[in-house]
Amino acid sequence: MSKDFEQQLRDALRPVEPEDGFEQRVMARITSEQTRARSKVTRWVSVALAASVVFAAILGTHEWQVRREQEGLEARKQLIEALRLTGEKLDVAYQAVNREPQPPPDNESGA
Amino acid sequence: MKASDTWSADELLTRARAGESSAFAALVRRYQRAVYSIALRMLNDRHRAEDLAQEVFLQLHRALDGIESDTHLAFWLRKVAMNRAIDRMRQESRHGAEPLTEAEAAVDETAEDDPLLKRRIEELLAQLPPAARAVVVLRYQEDLDPLDIASTLDMPINTVKSHLKRSLTQLRARVQGTAIVEDIR
Repeated sequence: MSKDFEQQLRDALRPVEPEDGFEQRVMARITSEQTRARSKVTRWVSVALAASVVFAAILGTHEWQVRREQEGLEARKQLIEALRLTGEKLDVAYQAVNREPQPPPDNESGA
Repeated sequence: MKASDTWSADELLTRARAGESSAFAALVRRYQRAVYSIALRMLNDRHRAEDLAQEVFLQLHRALDGIESDTHLAFWLRKVAMNRAIDRMRQESRHGAEPLTEAEAAVDETAEDDPLLKRRIEELLAQLPPAARAVVVLRYQEDLDPLDIASTLDMPINTVKSHLKRSLTQLRARVQGTAIVEDIR
C-alpha cells in the first residue's frame, strides 16, 4: 500500500509545462530589466555630471573669492608700505625744513 | 527544435555567460518545466507560479557567472525556486489557503491517471506547511533523495526524514479517508 501510495504521489506530482511562450516572456522581462538598468545608469551619470558641474562652480567661486581676498590683502600691504614710505619722506622733508640754520663756518678763527 | 537545444548545458552556460541570449533562452526552455512545476506545486496558482518562475530565471541571468556546471545549475534553480516560493507562502499566509482550481487545470492528465485522486492529493498537499510541502515536492516531483533535499533546503537530514514520514502518513490517511467516504456513497 505504501509503495502504491508513493507511486500515486509521483503520478499526481508529475512536472508540468508552463503556458506557451514562457521563454519569450522571460526574455522580454530580461530585456526590459536591462533597459531599466541602463536608464538608471544614465540617470545616475546625469545626476553625477550635474553634481560635478555644481561642485566645480562652487569650487571656482570659492577660489575666486580667496584669490580676491589675497589680492586685497596684497594691495592693502602695498598701500600701507607706500604710506609708510611717504610718511618717512615727509618726516625727512619736515625735518629739513625745520632744521635751525647752521652758523657759517668761521674762516678767521685760529688765525 | 532549435540548434541551441542540442547543445550541452555546459556549452549553453558558457555561451550564455558570454552574453549570447539564444543560449540563455535555450537554458530557460530546458529548465522551465522543473522550475515552473516547483512554483506551481508550492503556490497552487498558475499565474503566481509563472511569475515566480520568471523571477527565478531573471535571478539566474544576473547570477550566471557564479554557476559552475549543469549539476550546479539544476541545484541552484531548485534551491532558488523553493526559497522564493516558501518566502512568498509565508508572506501570504495571513490571506489563508490558496484556490486550487487553476492548479488543477494545469495538471497533465493521461488516460491511466485518476484525475480525482490527483486533485485530492494536490488539495491535501496545499494544506501542508511550507517546509513539509517543499520536502514532499522535492521527493516525489523532483525525485531527490533525502540528502539532496536537505542540501537544497538547508535543512538537517533528520528534519527532512521526519517531514517526509509525517507528511506521508497524513496524506495517506486523508486520501484513504476520502476513498472510504466515496465508497460509502
